[in-house]
Amino acid sequence: MAVQKINTTDKHIINLAGIVGGPRSILYKKADLLAYDCDGFTIHKHLPKAVVFPKSTEEVSKLVKYCSNNGLPFLARGAGTGLSGGAIPINGEVIISMVRMKKLISVDLENRRAVVEPGFVNLKLTNSISDKGYYYAPDPSSQYCCTIGGNVAENAGGAHCLKYGVTTNHILGLEVVLPNGEIVEIGRNGVLDEPGYDLLGLITGSEGTLGIVTKITVRILKSPEGKQTVLAYFDKVEDGSQAVSDIISAGIVPAALEMMDKTAIEAVEAAAFPVGHPKDIEAVLLIEVDGIAAGIEEQVNQILEVCRKRNVREVRAAKDEAERGRWWANRKTGFGAMGAISPDYLVQDGVIPRSKLPEVLSKISQISKESGLRIANIFHAGDGNLHPLVLFDARKPGEIDKALEAGSACLKACADVGGTITGEHGVGIEKRDEMRFVFKDEEIFAQTSIREVFNPNNLLNAGKLFPTPGRCVEIKKELKSLT
Amino acid sequence: MSIKETVLKQDPPCTSTLGNYLWRDPPQENKWADCVHCGMCLESCPTYEQTGEEQHSPRGRVYLIKAVAEGKLKVDEHFADPVFSCLDCRACTTACPVDVDVGGLIEEARGQIRQGMPLKGWKKAVNWFFLHGVFPHHNRLNSIGTLLRFYQKSGLQKVVRKTKLINIMPKHLTEMESIMPEVKSPVRKKYDSVIKAKGVTKHEVSLLTGCVMDVFFSDINESTITVLTRNGSDVRIPRNQTCCGALHVHAGDREMGRKLAKQNIEAFENAETVIVNAAGCGCMMKEYTELFRDEPEWRKRAKSFEDKVVDISKYLHDTGYEKPKTMLKTRITYHDACHLAHGQRVRQEPRDILLDIPGVEMVHMPKSDSCCGSAGIYNLTNPEMADAVLKSKMENVPDDVEMISMGNPGCMMQMALGVQKYGRNQKIVHTVQLLDWAYQKEERDSSHGSPKD
Repeated sequence: MAVQKINTTDKHIINLAGIVGGPRSILYKKADLLAYDCDGFTIHKHLPKAVVFPKSTEEVSKLVKYCSNNGLPFLARGAGTGLSGGAIPINGEVIISMVRMKKLISVDLENRRAVVEPGFVNLKLTNSISDKGYYYAPDPSSQYCCTIGGNVAENAGGAHCLKYGVTTNHILGLEVVLPNGEIVEIGRNGVLDEPGYDLLGLITGSEGTLGIVTKITVRILKSPEGKQTVLAYFDKVEDGSQAVSDIISAGIVPAALEMMDKTAIEAVEAAAFPVGHPKDIEAVLLIEVDGIAAGIEEQVNQILEVCRKRNVREVRAAKDEAERGRWWANRKTGFGAMGAISPDYLVQDGVIPRSKLPEVLSKISQISKESGLRIANIFHAGDGNLHPLVLFDARKPGEIDKALEAGSACLKACADVGGTITGEHGVGIEKRDEMRFVFKDEEIFAQTSIREVFNPNNLLNAGKLFPTPGRCVEIKKELKSLT
Repeated sequence: MSIKETVLKQDPPCTSTLGNYLWRDPPQENKWADCVHCGMCLESCPTYEQTGEEQHSPRGRVYLIKAVAEGKLKVDEHFADPVFSCLDCRACTTACPVDVDVGGLIEEARGQIRQGMPLKGWKKAVNWFFLHGVFPHHNRLNSIGTLLRFYQKSGLQKVVRKTKLINIMPKHLTEMESIMPEVKSPVRKKYDSVIKAKGVTKHEVSLLTGCVMDVFFSDINESTITVLTRNGSDVRIPRNQTCCGALHVHAGDREMGRKLAKQNIEAFENAETVIVNAAGCGCMMKEYTELFRDEPEWRKRAKSFEDKVVDISKYLHDTGYEKPKTMLKTRITYHDACHLAHGQRVRQEPRDILLDIPGVEMVHMPKSDSCCGSAGIYNLTNPEMADAVLKSKMENVPDDVEMISMGNPGCMMQMALGVQKYGRNQKIVHTVQLLDWAYQKEERDSSHGSPKD
């Protein structure tokens, strides 16, 4: 492919193209940009100024310096599968797409770590090391296509994070391009517990507002010797929720403990990976245990016993790996499956104490009735991470706003019982205002002050993660006048 | 010429426009309505894998197709680029949680582009020559076949290659020339219209001999007939059948697609089962109803036609076949043709057939269902992308196999090119050929009374 011809008089486009060079390394025409006006969150849309595809950390650094020096807003984007709008260019940003930096740089089995570029797809890491008996634990449902760089930005979770922890628990080192273009390394050599502040923890989950990650050292784990998945059907949501609590109380730590309600079951059964869940049940639980092969059967028996005590209609372990795979494919494609029963959906991401499950679920069903919109529930029940999916039709006037309100009300319900507004999808644009459900203005201010240290001009991914200033600015003034 | 002016000249006049789709047969809203932009399709897409650009991903393409309907984009060259860069391999439909028919949308969008921006100059001439002048006409294809046979047998091929005359062709065409299969006599010429089963007739089937297939790959048609008759089927070859129209529909020429579809529906009207040994043709013929959305009578006939179409491997698998009794010792791997695996969801059947041949050892090919880059005539129209896709494919072909088996002639040409280009040495075979060879060996062995090896 030849070097791209740039046909514009816009000097910024010409200069940015000069930095990346090579074939098709910048997109700037409207038709080419349209596909970048949103990510997995489709309610807010805005065209970027351009999309550039760097191939190295140095190129990222040069691009960032250029944007910074010229006052151009910019942001990083991976596969664009995020569900809270973190990669949407709401300020007409220059999108720095990381997808061509997709190498697996090194695997160090002895020290159980791997180094990847940010555009490397999550599942590819496990696929690259599984034959040697290792895997990468965080498994967001979009793991088939989402990038590890994006996972770091959002501190992504997944079904198996109940036992193994979310992304932040698996990050050992990062190379980051700061908003002024400086390249820094955090967590050198992937050694655990560096002295000083936990900067890895700070960057992980900062939703692309503190810097652009260009290299990631992750922890890899030995694949469990054995695993088994149990499927349980309940006629009452309360029984299902209670079984969840009972399993944890019994001292079992499942690798995953997932639940879907009736509406969610309707969707996954109408979609591409049906497994024959009965249509009339209220809840299905998927419970996976893993570890040393010898202990698996005993744990499975315990789980079967707990479920039976809670009036389960049917409960059984997967008869083989193929069946286990089908159950998980059905669950993991659950969000996309909403397309089969609704033109649009909005997924929320609240977290609550497990014991509040029945209470919050009934509250959500009340919100659904009041809004007139159906709400499906697919969630990581084990860690109390709810995903209410508000179903709506964007073509109907006013329905987007109704959906947003219903989604917000679901988060309020979570916050009210002592929970929080996001478990793994991030705040992005979607939950900016709901941050006020869980943080006081001063607390928000404390956090934006940290952002200012890294990103003083707020050119990098502005307008995400925190509510728009308003009162924060006033508080800042007040605080300044006090000093 | 502006889009509006073009519309005025179109015939028939468009009765139902949709946003900026101004011509007959626009992409259908119900096809994109299920897409919630989740992105599960991204990694399945060969062109996204190569470019990382979202407008060259399934999700991006669906988004753009929808944007034209919403009046946000126009049907112009910027829209045509992502729509025509799609391989139409359907891998995204397999990956999609809700089966969004991306391939169907792409074909419909191409129909709009070709009506709104008709090809001009040499592109138009080449397109017209092949799609209208050659493929639909058996006699003309046969003449080309005869010419090619002459080219290969007369020594002219050697002369052209030796004298470097071949270098006047563009590189990708030179490469294609070098892997052109040896052209044999078409089965349509060779056989009567009915070939009786060996022994008792258990079934009656009709065979699509295909356009290119019967000229370039007539030995696969031969194998198909042998295997079918050996397993108790009378094989009919309806004389008035024609090209399936896949290449036309892929190129956006839906009008010609309809014309060919009608001819085939009529030709096979009395058939109970229509056997197809080319995945691309089978997939197209199983989607004929898509072409007749505004012709209810033909739509009905297309529906009953579709139900009769079956791939040879699925037919053998479902109706039963004799397992060969002699050893055919070989290590093979299997490539899933897109239009078989993704298009018709036939994956296990051909593998089962191959494994039923004693002595055949199957080595797993990673990403066996990823496109090889052939995609109809994509390798001729988008050579750079096709080559990049082929390169990725060849990297997954295991080293230690003697043959690569598959069920589509387009893939066979492309994979043969891959083998040659990347210094590999595998033989490319059609699944049904391997079964046929096993039967032949069995017959030879039994007639010679030689011990089984």
